[in-house]
Amino acid sequence: MDQFLSYINQFFSYIGQHLFLIFGLLAVISAAFLVFAKNAVHSVLTFLAAMICIAACYLTLQSEFLAVAQLLIYAGGIVVLFLFVVMLVELSKFKENRLFQKQTPYAVVIVMAGVGGFMWMFRRLIFDSSASIPLTLSPELSEGLNVANQNAQSVSRGLFTGYLLPFETMSVILLIALIGAIVLAKQSRA
Amino acid sequence: MPEMTPVQTLLIAIIQIVLVIAFVFVVVPLTIFAERKVLGFVQQRLGSTRIAGKLRGITGLQNRFMWGMGRFPIIHYFRGLPGLVGDIVKLFIKEDIRPAKADRFVYLIAPCVSMIAAMLVYAMIGFYPGTLFTIPSFIPLIGGLPVGGTIADVNVGLLMLLGIASVGVYGIVLGAWASNSKYPLLGGLRSAAQMVSYEVPLTISMLTPVILAGSLNFNEMTRVTATGLSPWGVIPLFIGFFAYITCGFAESNRLPFDMPEAENELVAGYHTEYSGMRFGLFYLAEYINMSIVAALASAFFFGGPWLLPFGLQRFIPETAFWIGQPHWYIFAVKIVFFLFVYIWVRGSWPRYRYDQIMDVAWKYLIPMTLVNLVLAGIVRYFA
Repeated sequence: MDQFLSYINQFFSYIGQHLFLIFGLLAVISAAFLVFAKNAVHSVLTFLAAMICIAACYLTLQSEFLAVAQLLIYAGGIVVLFLFVVMLVELSKFKENRLFQKQTPYAVVIVMAGVGGFMWMFRRLIFDSSASIPLTLSPELSEGLNVANQNAQSVSRGLFTGYLLPFETMSVILLIALIGAIVLAKQSRA
Repeated sequence: MPEMTPVQTLLIAIIQIVLVIAFVFVVVPLTIFAERKVLGFVQQRLGSTRIAGKLRGITGLQNRFMWGMGRFPIIHYFRGLPGLVGDIVKLFIKEDIRPAKADRFVYLIAPCVSMIAAMLVYAMIGFYPGTLFTIPSFIPLIGGLPVGGTIADVNVGLLMLLGIASVGVYGIVLGAWASNSKYPLLGGLRSAAQMVSYEVPLTISMLTPVILAGSLNFNEMTRVTATGLSPWGVIPLFIGFFAYITCGFAESNRLPFDMPEAENELVAGYHTEYSGMRFGLFYLAEYINMSIVAALASAFFFGGPWLLPFGLQRFIPETAFWIGQPHWYIFAVKIVFFLFVYIWVRGSWPRYRYDQIMDVAWKYLIPMTLVNLVLAGIVRYFA
């Protein structure tokens, strides 16, 4: 009995150490379903699953705030809008029968280039000396804060002190995009 | 506290989950019964005294039993309760119909999404500060370990809760789309627009206690709002509560905001094509959402879940019987009160028109909550 229990304990702790890989794999699988699903609503559903898995990945990296933001903004907001649009579109007009389209070769080339770039970046991030710096925007700002336990505080300190100007510029750019979309839609109606 | 092995952690979590599920499945049927009785009282009728059927068969047996209950003085009032059991049995044994043109997979998972999102929120709600009880030591494997009052005491608990609650809209939208019928689709579109709109003022109004307390952690925030609040903090808290409870009614799709299932326009809205227990899951999720809104209202705006509201706890000595120390039954009483408010409002107010609902959200509630947020900031800074 004790032998059995310790075996189960080892099994669970092994799973606990590899949660990031498990959820990452799930995210990749659901992303694959997203691409290959014939029905657009099924695509949106698997997109939702991928977003939730990515949020879980953030949780395993102890960045709770990022995980929750992912859940609130992507899973709760953006994917709902996707679903809204897909539901309203007459789906029978856009029935996809072939798995590959004629743009596929170009797309594959671009994606491979992107993968190469990201791999280069990840190599720097994971194996270089910068990998030992904690996962905040600027570590010197988080002094006196327990980064693992005060996630929201450290992120907000970074955003509202060191990176205030880029942050506010970003929000203005998003606002411009929003107003631009409204202006374009109004013109086409008149 | 000794370091717990993974198996022990899991077992403790399972005990907590079972307790929460038991709580939910006690509260929800009682709410349904209370709704019948209170609505009956509002409309000057008896409300829930017998069930449909003749004097024969199972329904007849039940009806005669309920008739018999009517002869005793206090039980007389509760003679509708056996009818509730009949309702639940009916939900379980009714034929499970699936429309022929429905999208099978999405049709099946939609009620589950609704239910799971509703139940998951309870993981973040603290029923009791600290340890609820300690397991007696004679039980093997987990003897002597404490069972906490919160399943997951997350740092960013409030945001986590809102994030999970925002996933609940998928159940309604997907169920509406998968039914492949026009009334459910219309109901689903309405509910998606309504719930996404009301999520904004809901979130902003819940930021008021966050600003006043300076923490996103559920336990920490409730502690500060209950005891360490300046008297001026009551003003933004009151306005925030007003906005919150309005949005809460809209988020749980209750009257006067029950657009997704407006009976006179849309048959039954998003669950028109559902029957049996699949409909039952939607039904349960609605009542669970009601109880969550009630729990959060008592936690954030009524002085923490386990303490007396309005800062009254300061004037009560800690040794006082029943109300001196924080306890879970104070929480339960508050939840019951807010559930009563739900039914009360349902009995008193007519349904809004759809454009009026959108006006209320975007033109009144969002500006009001934003101004209130600034007010809370001022109070926090100066007081």
